[in-house]
Amino acid sequence: MSSKPEHNSPAAPRLRRTLAFRLSSAYSLAGLLLVILATASLYIVLRAELDRSTELFLADKLHVLGSMLRERPDDEDALREEIELESAARRYQQFYIRLIDQHGAPIMTTPGMAEQLDLAELASRTRGRPGRSIAMAGRVGQPFRVTSATVAVGTPPTHSDTVQIAIDVSQEEELLARYRLWFWGILLATSVLFPLVGYRIARHGIRPVEEIAATARRITSTNLRERIGSEGYPSELASLAGTFNEMLERLEESFERISRFTADIAHDLRTPVNNIRGEAEVALARARTVDEYRDVLESSLEETVRLSELIGDLLFLARAESPLTELHRENVNIAGLLITVRDYYEVSATNEGISLVVHDGAEPLNAALDRSLMLRAVSNLVSNAIAHTPPGGTVTLAATSQDGSICIEVSDTGVGIPAEALPRVFDRFFRVDPSRSKISGGTGLGLAIVESILTLHGGSAEISSQLGRGTRVTLRMPALAMR
Amino acid sequence: MKILIIEDEVKTARFLKRGLSEAGYVIDVAADGLEGLYLAQEVDFDLVILDVMLPVLDGWQVLARLRETERKALVLMLTARDAVHERVRGFELGADDYLVKPFAFSELLARVRSLLRRSTPRPQQTLRMADLEIDLLRQRATRDGQKLDLTSKEFLLLTLLARRAGEVLSRTLIAESVWDMNFDSDTNVVDVNVRRLRSKVDDPFPVKLIHTVRGAGYVFEAGA
Repeated sequence: MSSKPEHNSPAAPRLRRTLAFRLSSAYSLAGLLLVILATASLYIVLRAELDRSTELFLADKLHVLGSMLRERPDDEDALREEIELESAARRYQQFYIRLIDQHGAPIMTTPGMAEQLDLAELASRTRGRPGRSIAMAGRVGQPFRVTSATVAVGTPPTHSDTVQIAIDVSQEEELLARYRLWFWGILLATSVLFPLVGYRIARHGIRPVEEIAATARRITSTNLRERIGSEGYPSELASLAGTFNEMLERLEESFERISRFTADIAHDLRTPVNNIRGEAEVALARARTVDEYRDVLESSLEETVRLSELIGDLLFLARAESPLTELHRENVNIAGLLITVRDYYEVSATNEGISLVVHDGAEPLNAALDRSLMLRAVSNLVSNAIAHTPPGGTVTLAATSQDGSICIEVSDTGVGIPAEALPRVFDRFFRVDPSRSKISGGTGLGLAIVESILTLHGGSAEISSQLGRGTRVTLRMPALAMR
Repeated sequence: MKILIIEDEVKTARFLKRGLSEAGYVIDVAADGLEGLYLAQEVDFDLVILDVMLPVLDGWQVLARLRETERKALVLMLTARDAVHERVRGFELGADDYLVKPFAFSELLARVRSLLRRSTPRPQQTLRMADLEIDLLRQRATRDGQKLDLTSKEFLLLTLLARRAGEVLSRTLIAESVWDMNFDSDTNVVDVNVRRLRSKVDDPFPVKLIHTVRGAGYVFEAGA
């Protein structure tokens, strides 16, 4: 037994860590404990009951003999009947009675009593403990209960005799022994049965979890479409499966977004690189004038500037997503910031026949912001607004504060954005009209940058638009004061 | 003025050397950190242009070791990574300026000039170019004796161009200096403003002063 291999094998500790093992061992421990409690308490009750019935029997006999000696001391036949014959008629629970006079001489004894019991020991054991039942072993080891009592003889009493009674309780002892044997048997059987049944129950209960785990294992970035069927599971696991499916949904969405994003980057990087490469190849194909070379070089430079700007924007977005990015907050006067942006775009707007106005509130608004980033966000919005507003229109910059947050609004009277495009305008590389922005040269990252700047500030960017009426973008951020 | 370029990327080193030589500087090139450090310790350079990603010793190590010596050369760091903590680290180690790749050569040249000029600032009251005269104190500009009617931003823009006459100024630099837009903003706006300035400063006069350098920016000069 001591050389059992599983103590050394690595499977044992791994098994001990499984849920099925833990559950089934908990089941079996609880089951065994219940069985032990139930059988042990039954045993104790049974034993007490048996003892009580023996004691009742002894008390009853004493009482009968006592009343016979007291009332009819000369009725020797009745006494003999009671002491010598009645016991001989019994096959089980043999009892023996001995009647001794006050001088210690025996008057009457159940036949065979001296063979079964050491009478001197009986006398010495029961002396001084009248009416109490005492356990005593017989001559061949069989268990007895013995008692003795002094009874008055005659009415009125003339003298007193001693009655000694012994009863063979080996039947009861055997019953208890059989009971104990059963007890151990049941214990053995349940200690084998409980772990087995418990393990089966646990395995059955865990199977849905394993199915969920198996599905999870199968899922990679290429088959994010797979879902866990949530029917037939108990409600706890159904909610787990549901949560898991929701997570998959979100993952699938962001994966799609990333792959779309990657494709867009590739496209937007490829175009300028292709231009540079093609122009250089064509230029080198034969000898050209200095002016022609200059033209090619200048064009290449323009393309690389476009590339640099795109790389800069992409880096900005990537950095804004990093949790390590820190804002350089300073105390910024919002109206001042809006006026800076207006000054920058004023000439452009005037050239397009658009009026650019700043509405600042009655009281000066100040907030702790990263000035350069917020300037960039507002500039991007104003640039978009001017590009999409026809001559005669108005672009309005406004700042308001309401319950602890500051809003910067850029609204125009421009062409507006179709409702179906609105939810995607903050996506990277999303262009409402792809052909149009080719000419204006936008990277399609402007609004994505606006949103990430607001996210960095713990705020949000919201857009609302009506086709032909205009667009309004609201930048909402918590109004932090400078410490 | 002697400049040391420590840069392992051959093409980058080559165009930096050519560009800066043509701008009138004397150039030495080192291809790795150790060689660069050795040269910087042996020769008295006015400026070291130091790449961060270098073989043998990286730019940070070169900068740290260089600052332990007596040499007081100015250091301009070049890096492909524009993380704020890198910038801070560069300045803490004693770099004088910092430029992120990809950069415009005109931007680099402007930084080099301003670094090397930093030691000898000379306040000017008037700027002159051909028949243009800018009175900085009274905030007025005249051409051929006629007063030019400029807005305050236009005056700032003209002053910037004139102060750095002969230098190619990128649109980003112009936006930053005149409008305080210190990021890659919508640079078409700069073109619109320059066009407007030209209509006042150049269009009525035979000698043109503001010239477009395609793909790079603007330069202010009387010739060409």
